[in-house]
Amino acid sequence: MKADQRAHQSASQTPTADEPVVDGSSVDGSVEPTLDMSTETPAERAARFEKDAMPFLDQLYSAALRTTRNPADAEDLVQETYAKAFAAFHQYKHGTNLKAWLYRILTNTYINSYRKKQRQPLQSDAAEVEDYQLARAESHTSKGLRSAETEALDHLPDSDVKRALQEIPEDFRLAVYLADVEGFAYKEIAEIMDTPIGTVMSRLHRGRHQLRALLSDYARERGFVVEAVTS
Amino acid sequence: MTGAEHDEYDCSRARLQLYQYLDGEMDPDDCAKISEHLEQCGPCLKEYDLDQMLKALVRRSCACENAPTELRMQIMARITTINMTVEFRD
Repeated sequence: MKADQRAHQSASQTPTADEPVVDGSSVDGSVEPTLDMSTETPAERAARFEKDAMPFLDQLYSAALRTTRNPADAEDLVQETYAKAFAAFHQYKHGTNLKAWLYRILTNTYINSYRKKQRQPLQSDAAEVEDYQLARAESHTSKGLRSAETEALDHLPDSDVKRALQEIPEDFRLAVYLADVEGFAYKEIAEIMDTPIGTVMSRLHRGRHQLRALLSDYARERGFVVEAVTS
Repeated sequence: MTGAEHDEYDCSRARLQLYQYLDGEMDPDDCAKISEHLEQCGPCLKEYDLDQMLKALVRRSCACENAPTELRMQIMARITTINMTVEFRD
């Protein structure tokens, strides 16, 4: 970044090597909305936080509901997330992905306090990638009848899908939720979950695979025709 | 590529990359390869259909829910408190 700007600037002027040349607007004409954090008053910061971060409340609450699996915990989690986010808001880089930043705080908060409380076994990431590749290769041998299985699952009520999501390990659930409901890119999920992209892909794979098996079970319980279940 | 040419390698490779394809996480070259394979291969296409349906199903089932009004008020109250504390300290 700095090097870039230096290169740009050296065309018009030649700054000495140790002279700082960065001062707000960039040389190529794209003026960043400059925000001077040092002169921002606490009241201004609170107003900016309300304007920028509060619109994500419903989304974060929905995610917390799916994560904690009960409304009281979800409210606590969201409240704590917002308190932390506000306390750290001066560290948030204006113009970067605020939604992902908030999700990251939510996820960390959940992992640090609620996971312990709910005593869920930690998912081991060991050998995940191998599993993931194996399972994918195996699924090739299945002769799934698309119409039967796809049709059956597609007719399941929302409550079954939520129940299935609650059944799968939380790391998988979170990865699936972030990808499918929130539409985050793998790279963003990796940042939110603080894990390599390969692990994100593996969690997605395993989560979706388990989800599919559970939903097939539910569909069968409901008397829907489900053929060729792979597991 | 003809139907007869599609071999195990193509299928297992396609299966490995289906989710990346589904999630829009592929570069255009690989994208073109896998979509070409899906056109040729019924079983892989069925698998992809199901994956696609599941993704849509999860999205649809987890529609955004409104946060309780009290929660919003509590958060705002807390921010205002923190804010006042900071101001006081300053």
